[in-house]
Amino acid sequence: MLALRELQAAFADHLAGRDRVDLLALVSGDSIPAAARIAVHRHHLGQSLSAALAATFPTVRALVGEDFFGRMARDFLAGFLPTQPVLAEYGADLASFIATYGPAAGLPYLADIARLDWALNVAAYAGPVRRLTAADLSAVSSERLPAHHLALPPGTCLIDSPFPLPDIWRASQPDAGEGVVDLAAGRCRLVVLPGSAGAFFVSLSNPEADFVAALAAGSSLEEAAGVAFAADATFDLSKTFARLIRLGTFAALR
Amino acid sequence: MNSSRIAIAAALAAALATPAAQAQGMTEKCYGIAKAGRNDCQTDHSSCAGTSKKDGQTDAWVAVPKGSCEKIVGGKLTSS
Repeated sequence: MLALRELQAAFADHLAGRDRVDLLALVSGDSIPAAARIAVHRHHLGQSLSAALAATFPTVRALVGEDFFGRMARDFLAGFLPTQPVLAEYGADLASFIATYGPAAGLPYLADIARLDWALNVAAYAGPVRRLTAADLSAVSSERLPAHHLALPPGTCLIDSPFPLPDIWRASQPDAGEGVVDLAAGRCRLVVLPGSAGAFFVSLSNPEADFVAALAAGSSLEEAAGVAFAADATFDLSKTFARLIRLGTFAALR
Repeated sequence: MNSSRIAIAAALAAALATPAAQAQGMTEKCYGIAKAGRNDCQTDHSSCAGTSKKDGQTDAWVAVPKGSCEKIVGGKLTSS
């Protein structure tokens, strides 16, 4: 007889896909065999978590199709059972799992698409946050503006990928046309932001993304501008700063 | 203030004065998702129906992704 803690661990192990024959001896097997009784739970867990992952990673799901996604989800959950009860927060590790998942090796962009899906999911559930407006900064004198620090609001993140994720994302939408995407289109720099009733992303130029990344890392506006100018001498600071404020990229001042 | 700091201060201040910065909201093309309510405790009722005695582990292995990935061409970045 297993102690309760061992019994629970064995049950979790079995649900995750690792057969535990020691469990079968402890389960009633009168009209329905013990193995079949436990299989119902394993099946239920797999279906529920696969469905949750498909809802959180719709673009990955569209790219690989239902069967492949279902199998990948089951392989994932064997190593990454949920550690908290909110299904919408399940799957933080899927992108890194995909990066080393052999069967997906032929789709080198898939892990980055999973990062984008996850970022959109996090942003969509980040909750309302007041964003910085141009009016908020009007109280700061222009001489002091360069030394100012700005933070990104919760749920906001930058994605840097060697693949054209926006093109791949669009081609995977239900209403996408027949056009093909050429991976040679190359690198993208995205900012993912909470939006009204959801989340959205926009493409940034390289110096724009360098500017935001430097601010996110704690640089002042002057230091961040320096990073962007070093990356591209034609960087338009005024236009970029106006665009980023309009998009709601920065958290309101505290 | 040195000259580069003055230029940066001027550029930032100019941004705050533009209509683009003052208009909050979307005036450019962006892409996104809409989410329904958060599903904290969703259960999959159909899989409990007792007809599902197998857990799917024995399904034939699906080696080939069959989705919109067929539209993505030119995957030379991995093999090189």
